[in-house]
Amino acid sequence: MNPRDRLLGALQGAKLDRVPCICPGGMMNMIIAELMQKTGIMWPDAHADVEKMEKLAEAVYEYGMFENYGVPFCMTIEVEGMGAEVDLGNTKIEPHVISYILDTVSDYKNLKSFAVNEGRAKVCTEVISILKSKDKSVPIIGNLSGPISVASSLMEPVIFYRELRKKKEDAHRYMDFVTDQIIAFGKAQIRAGADVIAISDPSGTGEILGPKYFDEFAVKYLNKLIEGLREEYKGIPVIVHICGQMHKVYGELDKIKADALSFDAIVNMKEVKEQMPNRVIMGNVSTYALEFSDKKKIQSITRNVLNSGVNIVSPACGLGLQSPLENIQAILETIEEDSYD
Amino acid sequence: MARSKAELLQMLSDYVFEMEDEEIGSVAQEYIDASHDPLDGILEGLADGMNRAGKMYEEEEYFVTDLLICSDAMYNGLEILKPHVSQNADEDKKTHKCVIGVVEGDTHDIGKNLVKIMLETAGFEVHDLGRDVPLRNFVDKAKEVDADLICLSTLMTTTMPGMKDVVEMLKEEKLHKDVKVMIGGGPVSQAYCDKIGAHGYSANATDAVKLAKVLVGLDA
Repeated sequence: MNPRDRLLGALQGAKLDRVPCICPGGMMNMIIAELMQKTGIMWPDAHADVEKMEKLAEAVYEYGMFENYGVPFCMTIEVEGMGAEVDLGNTKIEPHVISYILDTVSDYKNLKSFAVNEGRAKVCTEVISILKSKDKSVPIIGNLSGPISVASSLMEPVIFYRELRKKKEDAHRYMDFVTDQIIAFGKAQIRAGADVIAISDPSGTGEILGPKYFDEFAVKYLNKLIEGLREEYKGIPVIVHICGQMHKVYGELDKIKADALSFDAIVNMKEVKEQMPNRVIMGNVSTYALEFSDKKKIQSITRNVLNSGVNIVSPACGLGLQSPLENIQAILETIEEDSYD
Repeated sequence: MARSKAELLQMLSDYVFEMEDEEIGSVAQEYIDASHDPLDGILEGLADGMNRAGKMYEEEEYFVTDLLICSDAMYNGLEILKPHVSQNADEDKKTHKCVIGVVEGDTHDIGKNLVKIMLETAGFEVHDLGRDVPLRNFVDKAKEVDADLICLSTLMTTTMPGMKDVVEMLKEEKLHKDVKVMIGGGPVSQAYCDKIGAHGYSANATDAVKLAKVLVGLDA
């Protein structure tokens, strides 16, 4: 079974020879310093250059880290496209927003429409089409930042969260606008050849919002985003990653129309499986352990994750750049050993 | 009939706790107009309400967005009460100083802002460097204001190593004993805290205040 069929099968909840081992990209960063050194392709260049981004994405698979390709390597393309200023960082620091462009949700009309055929969005979709033309056995994951995360990166988050309550109607209009821009980028990625779309919405957590607002603003616009993609690309598989504790929001979480839900290391996967027995679940090898422990420890963590019943194994969050390559490789090696002996 | 001091204090506390951030101003004004002690109004009214909100947050009945509105109410009340606090009212009491910020490379500052609010509620003098803060600035600011504490936050695994760098800089300058470092944020843990030689880790904003008090030698 090739990695693409395995991932697509797992996303449908099918019974397979073994679980896939992936790291989507985007917020779920899969690039480490050791890989940059080995390939000679460095950040920040690889965030904005077609050939470099493509080669680095390929190296993740070639070096036995994960069974997928994934771009981009950041979560700033959407906000940059809407006018925020982004610092691309360096070999140690990921791209991040350096200036906000809105003072209030009510000013959303001042935002630029995201031209997905320009700039780094275009770099990203070009990379996807090149990867697609080369190897059809490895799944290509296109990454999007979730609506709350994008909306709270265009303005001061404290004001944003406050205005979800105080200026509810404008907040909804703002979220609508932002979600439409993300849909456009997602569609461009699928058009270019992405097999799967992964959406990370780290700022839209139940812990920050509480169940009511999680439902009203996070779930609602994640679903609008997913439905928007599927309007044109029926059945495109979608993974949604959310950070933080979930036990207060299982009911709301289960409304998200993604094929798979991904969680961070704080979440007990057995509990998730009990609460939502019919969902395809992805996770959650501790990125802290991946960076600071050793191969042996990763083997045992991977076995625990497998035993918890996840359908797809992945890191719990973005990888720390100083994570040793052999620790990352140990996840996939362990899955293979345990499945075929 | 005019409301008693006790009633007004209760209202100040309740209005913070119940997120009445617009209505609280008139209560604070009534309190001042009746010539009650402004410091009592802050500590037994506003801060009391914020502490009650903090308890609800610990019990997961309140969430981050709730605390933000509660703190708006607190600061709105504070704006009216504070100018009336006489300069020497709390001079004999040592104020503990704290430098806080999100480490370089990370712009997620919700957690940091909450910790700042709760530390201010607890009476700390907080110097907020904001987000994406160059590491050197933490040490420079701590020296400048003679801080007791540096609070570092990050939500990203990729920027965690910056916390270690700050601890190392303090060691180099032999400030490590005088300036305590506490860390927090999604991917951070007690294990990481021990590993990099920081003085303490807390998992949330209310624990952060307890930890800060212990670190500066106040009763938690």
